[in-house]
Amino acid sequence: MLKLLQNEWMKIIKRPGTFVMMGLLLVTVVLMGGIIKYQSQDEKPNPNWKLEIQTTIAEQKQNLVQMENVPKGQREYLEKSIAINEYRLEHNLAPNGEYAIWSFVQDASSLIQLAGLFTIIVAAGIVASEFNWGTIKLLLIRPTSRSKILLAKYTTVISFALLMLTLLFGFSTLVGWIAFGMPEQSTPYLNYFAGKVTEESMVFHLIKFHGLSSISMIMLSTMAFMISAVFRNSSLAIGLSIFLMFTGAQFTNLIAIKFDWAKYILFANTDLMQYFEGMPLVEGMTLPFSVSMLVVYFVLFHSLAFFVFRKRDVAA
Amino acid sequence: MTGIVQLQNVTKTIKGKTIIDSLSFEVNKGEVFGFLGPNGAGKTTTIRMMVGLIGITSGDIKIGGNSIQSNFEQAVSRIGAIVENPEMYKFLTGYENLIHFARLSNKVDKQKIDEVVKLVNLSDRIHDKVKNYSLGMRQRLGVAQALLHDPEVLILDEPTNGLDPAGIREMRDHLKMLTREKGLAVIVSSHLLSEMEMMCDRIAILQKGKLVDVQTIQDFKNGVDHVVEFNVVPVDKALVIIQALGIPARKGEAGLTCKINKEDIPSIVKSLTTENINVYGIKEVTKSLEERFLEVTEEREVSLYA
Repeated sequence: MLKLLQNEWMKIIKRPGTFVMMGLLLVTVVLMGGIIKYQSQDEKPNPNWKLEIQTTIAEQKQNLVQMENVPKGQREYLEKSIAINEYRLEHNLAPNGEYAIWSFVQDASSLIQLAGLFTIIVAAGIVASEFNWGTIKLLLIRPTSRSKILLAKYTTVISFALLMLTLLFGFSTLVGWIAFGMPEQSTPYLNYFAGKVTEESMVFHLIKFHGLSSISMIMLSTMAFMISAVFRNSSLAIGLSIFLMFTGAQFTNLIAIKFDWAKYILFANTDLMQYFEGMPLVEGMTLPFSVSMLVVYFVLFHSLAFFVFRKRDVAA
Repeated sequence: MTGIVQLQNVTKTIKGKTIIDSLSFEVNKGEVFGFLGPNGAGKTTTIRMMVGLIGITSGDIKIGGNSIQSNFEQAVSRIGAIVENPEMYKFLTGYENLIHFARLSNKVDKQKIDEVVKLVNLSDRIHDKVKNYSLGMRQRLGVAQALLHDPEVLILDEPTNGLDPAGIREMRDHLKMLTREKGLAVIVSSHLLSEMEMMCDRIAILQKGKLVDVQTIQDFKNGVDHVVEFNVVPVDKALVIIQALGIPARKGEAGLTCKINKEDIPSIVKSLTTENINVYGIKEVTKSLEERFLEVTEEREVSLYA
């Protein structure tokens, strides 16, 4: 098994595309750091922030009272905003505190989508390419079962995803540290969940955020991998996965407004952050529900991929 | 002696169409076995079934006694194969390709890789990227990967495809050496008959997914009647004389042709010269494998439609 992984990694590393992807990730992080640094120069912390926040709270409270029938989502948003702002006043925590390393890592975490994109490209190609190159014929006539080969390929995809995430976290920490330095005093992250505001260490919050974000990335890569194994077509796998990656969540949100069954859609469950911060997409959804939905999709993708790949007549 | 490769009533049906129809034969150690047939006869399909790339609808294929279906890993570890073109990872070097395939078998070490590289004469270029290889070098690298794990059976699908005459000759010598010295069974497929004639010990003729015949090359060629052509003047008179001897003869392009044994030639010449007929030449017309092949497959075609 280890040898099979070595093989897959050799085939990834020896292609220039892989380094282009890593390079792009690095360049984007640096670029982002540059832009934020440039912009934040003319931004001074507001000494009157307490007054400002008090006005905001007053306005929002008034809004809540005035509009009896505001949509549920908006009402919750207002409640969250008020709660966090009140907490800030109480504990003397300025909202636009000093912009430092962790703030940057937080901003750079939007690039997880980019890391996900690259992982999808790798996942979509890893089986389909062997068919395109014709090397599948030489690969499958070895004393190694097809399931083992497919498993090795999937493991490689997952480790590639982890590598990309680690690289992103590493790059952005490094760039954040160089550009913005360590904060003088650590600002905690304010988490609002189920009506309560709690303080969290920023680093802990970021690691949790990256970890949970990777779930959506891994599910999409698994889907791309499945399409790649079933249809032997990397373009289809890349196209469909990326399309769903950018539109899946929005579509699901739209459906969720009208229909309850939206909670069975994959994309309603990939964002587990909703159970730690914020609120579930559809009322009644719980963490165990989402986790079991994810498991169901995961098993479904893999049974399809393995079933088709094992039975396939390699004739092209 | 049972063959190292055994096909037992192998049938392949795709979407209700029978591609291969109960094929049975055996291949022995130390022989080059040819797979002959026109395009679309099912040569490649049969080879793909032998290496487990496609499933078998009914029947079984055994390699050294292990079924390719129920005991895949055991069976396939005895086979080295190139199926159609030897497609390699072009972005890797020849050596990396070999390492890649070596990792997929259990018992291959570095020393073995070097040995195989030397055997196929690729030592100079083995660390170059495969995309810079010529077709001949790719073929040789293909043979190298097929020989890595010391297989007992070597299966080559169209091994001389795209090779120049020198390359073809080299490939032929390789195969001869492998069978003679290492006792490998080699199975090659081709529609190039002259190639098969020089390479194979036995051939199986395949047509429309059915086995027409399995014969040694010698028997196959001997199945043809000996035809002797006499270049004589005047032809008409000679024809009468020969027919008078009770030998069926007819006018050919360059004289008379008749079906006789070699031993009859002197007596015929004697009769012709005593009758003052000028004999300019006598030659035996042997049919090439190609003619024989067309003959066999055409006969078959006729009987199929009869």
